[in-house]
Amino acid sequence: MAIDYQPKIVGFMCNWCSYAGADMAGTSRMTYPPNIRVIRVPCSARVDALFIVKCFQQGADGVLVSGCHPGDCHYSEGNYHARRRFALLRELLDFLGIEKERFWVEWVSASEGKRFSRLVSAFTDELSRMGPRNTWGNQVDTTDQGQG
Amino acid sequence: MARIIAKKDLASWLEELLKEHTVIAPTSVGEFTLFRPIITPEEIALDFDNTVLSPKEWFFPRAESLFTRDGGAEEPVPQPIDKLVIFGIRPCDAKGLTVLDKTLYSTPFDALYTQRRNQATLIGLACSKPGPQCFCTTMGSAPDDASNVDIMLTEVDDGYIVETVTEKGKALIAGALLSESKSPPPQVASPAVIEGITEEMPESARERYWSRLADRCLHCHICAFVCPTCYCTQDRQYDSQGRVEQLRCWYSCQGQGFTRIGGYTPNPTKTDRMRHRFYHKLPHFPDTQGSGYATCVGCGRCVTACPVNIDIREVIADTKQRQPV
Amino acid sequence: MIQQIKDKAKELLDSGAVSCVIGYERASDGLTARPLFVYETEDVEKLIFDETCTHNLVKYLLNIKDKPTAIVVKPCDARALNVLLGEKQHQREKVNIIGEACPGVVETSWNKKGDDLEARCQVCTQHTPPIYDFLVGEPIEEPSPPSTFSDVADFEGKSAAERASFWAEQFERCIRCYACRNVCPGCYCTECQVEQVNPEWVSIRLTPEENLMWHVMRAFHLAGRCIGCKECERVCPVNIPLSLLNRKLQQEVLALFDFQAGIDEDTPAPLATFKKDEKLGIGEWHE
Repeated sequence: MAIDYQPKIVGFMCNWCSYAGADMAGTSRMTYPPNIRVIRVPCSARVDALFIVKCFQQGADGVLVSGCHPGDCHYSEGNYHARRRFALLRELLDFLGIEKERFWVEWVSASEGKRFSRLVSAFTDELSRMGPRNTWGNQVDTTDQGQG
Repeated sequence: MARIIAKKDLASWLEELLKEHTVIAPTSVGEFTLFRPIITPEEIALDFDNTVLSPKEWFFPRAESLFTRDGGAEEPVPQPIDKLVIFGIRPCDAKGLTVLDKTLYSTPFDALYTQRRNQATLIGLACSKPGPQCFCTTMGSAPDDASNVDIMLTEVDDGYIVETVTEKGKALIAGALLSESKSPPPQVASPAVIEGITEEMPESARERYWSRLADRCLHCHICAFVCPTCYCTQDRQYDSQGRVEQLRCWYSCQGQGFTRIGGYTPNPTKTDRMRHRFYHKLPHFPDTQGSGYATCVGCGRCVTACPVNIDIREVIADTKQRQPV
Repeated sequence: MIQQIKDKAKELLDSGAVSCVIGYERASDGLTARPLFVYETEDVEKLIFDETCTHNLVKYLLNIKDKPTAIVVKPCDARALNVLLGEKQHQREKVNIIGEACPGVVETSWNKKGDDLEARCQVCTQHTPPIYDFLVGEPIEEPSPPSTFSDVADFEGKSAAERASFWAEQFERCIRCYACRNVCPGCYCTECQVEQVNPEWVSIRLTPEENLMWHVMRAFHLAGRCIGCKECERVCPVNIPLSLLNRKLQQEVLALFDFQAGIDEDTPAPLATFKKDEKLGIGEWHE
């Protein structure tokens, strides 16, 4: 693909662990590619399956969901539910033509700034190699909420 | 002697038309037929009763942008209205467009619909035999009814008999090569007219009748969407960074919460919605406007498509009054 | 067999045990079947049961929650009922289940009846309903090969780009009639997410991506709850192979969580529970 292809990545980070870990990467001046757009959520379980599909529909080439390590969830059980949900969703997305390698779910704790920066770097490299994702049509819907 | 266009000449005429018009014709999509724009005449599939969706979607799209507005200005929707030729439209569907005109082409008219209707030419295709779901003759049409098209084609052995109905049709066929027919005239089989009841259903039985019919309804939108004359819609407004767009798409009176306003729903139960639908399709316009036509054209698509077999022909037989013998 | 159903229906109505019997009658084409609601004994004669009775009638039970109702179910339909009972959408005492030992049904649409059994019936391993009050028909010996997901496996053989363009082509035809949702016993939300306007999840633009959003939404809400009756595919007016999506999720739910929906009414659905130590291929990246 073109040398200047830049994958668009959306990252859902849980407030208590992974967002803090990402923050730590930033304050410690650890570099990682700027392709990722971070969305802070209270818990990885807040991320509805449809958010992920919507990201791909709207033009994302890769989506990363990150939360607390299993056992450490701030809300006790959120990441256990998220784990099951995303295991299923990844298979379904693959079935629809979005390869499994485009959807990563990884755990990052608040002290793992270095892990975060290496994770995002690895993800961006992988997506750069893979190229743009397959689309389901030509139009990318850029409008906001509908009012009935 | 009838004038015909031979089958090979039909293809060359259509190729000429394709240079300046968008030609919409029945094409095979999987196991069924749909009206789609064609690029070459070879894509046309004429071995069909009728298409799954009616050609109304080419005048009244399933979803369309009504207008967009930036800031204070109203910019026209950048929709080129193509010069359309609808090829192979059945008499029932052509009547369906005339029925839609009563609502969408009369004041206050639908601007986009009227523009499309004005720019379009209808080339009808008479039916050689009725499908098992057809009942156009009960609804005032016929398999060879040419009153709502610009040109009517009737298939014979060596081609299609050409009947020009309007000036627009005459202008369109001017470039085609016509000849005299040597085939016997076509035999047109008509569907039998549905016999109705001789005595009106008593008031006390009506609630029960509609309730029993509505029991199995799934309240999906299939009947309204396949119907050539349904026109209910829902609108949504989208705004993004100061740009407002109004989008309109088909809706169905059978959906729950249809026309709910301020918490009040005029037809709250399935029974009410079912009765509303058949009232609207059958006696409503003759009763209220004295215009004599029902909005149902007898195409039978709802009969084929309804997943639980709610059959309008049974409703007609149970509710239509005929003179006692 | 049909006489047993008629007799049972008559008995239940006469005794007042139920106010309605939901079964099948002959459709207007004289060939296929359609649902029938019997309230009076004289209508019992209209009941039929044969290979054209493809419909899953369980959805209708959700409309009659206050009065006791009897329903004729095939084994697959009975699994849907188990799912609904497990989710407390109905009460067991209010449903009188007339279960059929079912040899299989054929594909039907109006005025058309297939010759072979439906694909799902050919791999069925449960010919006797898992739940019933009265069984009609002789119990059928279960075949030994387990049900396969060969249709899913075939599809997975395609490349990612082929899969994406397949679905784009299929969903271009979707007209959002929502018949798939309305016929499904698992879809019973009073306000479906697709009709929500504030926030709007799926717009009313009829493009392949928006239509795909809708179908993925529905398939995912049914993950671990779909029992594979394929009604969604039967009712679709434009023949989109919807059940492929649900079957893929059924396959994954079986592989990841060893779970099949509707076997009994007590086991909770996989997305409502978890196991602390499971990995599921998530969170295994190492530097």
